[in-house]
Amino acid sequence: MSENIFKEIYSKVLSLFKQTEKNDENAKDVAKNRLRVVLMQDRTNLTPELLQRMRKELIELLSKYVEMDKEALDLNFDQEGDQMALMLSIPVIRAKDEAEIEKALAEEEKAKDTEEVEETSLEDETDEETDKESDETTEEESNEKQEEEAEKNKNSEDDEVTAEATENEEAEDISNSEESNDESETSEQENEEKPSSQKETK
Amino acid sequence: MTGRVIVITSGKGGVGKTTTNANIGTALARAGKKVVMIDTDLGLRNLDLLLGLENRIVYTIVDVVEERCKLKQALVKDKKNPNLCLLAAAQTRDKTAVTEEQLKDICEKLKKDFDFILVDCPAGIEQGFQNAVAGASEAIVVTTPEMSAVRDADRIIGLLEAKEEIKSYKLLINRVRPNLIKSNDMMSVDDVVEILSAELIGIIPEDTGIITSTNKGEPIVNEEKSLAGVAYRNVARRIMGEEVPFLNLEEETSVIAKVKKFFSNLVKGKEK
Repeated sequence: MSENIFKEIYSKVLSLFKQTEKNDENAKDVAKNRLRVVLMQDRTNLTPELLQRMRKELIELLSKYVEMDKEALDLNFDQEGDQMALMLSIPVIRAKDEAEIEKALAEEEKAKDTEEVEETSLEDETDEETDKESDETTEEESNEKQEEEAEKNKNSEDDEVTAEATENEEAEDISNSEESNDESETSEQENEEKPSSQKETK
Repeated sequence: MTGRVIVITSGKGGVGKTTTNANIGTALARAGKKVVMIDTDLGLRNLDLLLGLENRIVYTIVDVVEERCKLKQALVKDKKNPNLCLLAAAQTRDKTAVTEEQLKDICEKLKKDFDFILVDCPAGIEQGFQNAVAGASEAIVVTTPEMSAVRDADRIIGLLEAKEEIKSYKLLINRVRPNLIKSNDMMSVDDVVEILSAELIGIIPEDTGIITSTNKGEPIVNEEKSLAGVAYRNVARRIMGEEVPFLNLEEETSVIAKVKKFFSNLVKGKEK
């Protein structure tokens, strides 16, 4: 009996120590990390929604050129002294070969043309609107909601495609090219560092 | 004489702007400099209380601006130190009673007679802040190692950087609690400096003595033994261009160090 009681007390005391240790490790780092995120938002006027959107657009753009782990893609701001950097780290699964890339680009061109002829897609409309009326937040919000819906539809498409991807890689390429509405065809880097000018003047 | 105009600001309220102002001003005056402090927190003045001068105020900055008295008449001399003066804020008026131009003008006039003009800025980033900053060419940003204070300090630094008149700004980290930093419960001085990427001018430890000194209307720099007092005196020396190493707070406050200090003091006392 007495042994059990001692064991219980011992384990309780031990768990107490373990808990406080964990909390100790956290409080400071949690504060630091939360503060970093909040300050980036304050300094750049980028809300979490906009960051999410940026991330999504980057995935669309880059997946034309490389096959990557979309879930593990990491987009963050980093600060080195006065300079703020946008850090993008992308785990690459496989480099696409020339034919695949050319195909994706050709598909993109085609998709653009057909889109212009046919009814303009939801996504494009909202993109233009947000560009024009980015100052009016209410407008932006409603646009973002619309966009989210569009996103959902797309994601479901995407999932289907990736499921089939092992058998049919071409299908994925097509879907990727359809997704990407952005023109920029340049960036091929796997790791990008874009310095963004923040803090008004230095 | 052309004095330096330094605004003491923070964004967030309650981080110790006014306490910092009172202590740095007193420390500079103790070092033989002629110092005037301007309280620009119209409607919520407190600098007079910290200096124990609340009963001596006859005219305020608003009386000067509205020409009910001359500038020199409105300067309240400190009880102990004739080098130290206060230009008090009006308690019954709001921020609109004084404009940026008027404050600039007052600072220009005071520059001729004083080495240092310390401007106590109200909390916030509205007109009160704009007014306080208007006449200054240097700034001290007061913050604490807490998230909300650091965030507001970041905002203030952004605004200061956009102001051409502000040639330099420095960071003063107040209410530092070495024990909490040691146990990783609080951000360290280095963390805050890294996040704000600003030059440091002072680290002030949390000190219960501040409460009693405020209650007495006697800045803590006048207490020789107080650690916060030493830290504030060091800030004043750095402002005057001296290179003073920062206090090592962790050593000073660990229990073992305290016990050792206690015994070494005992021994010293007996030897005397």
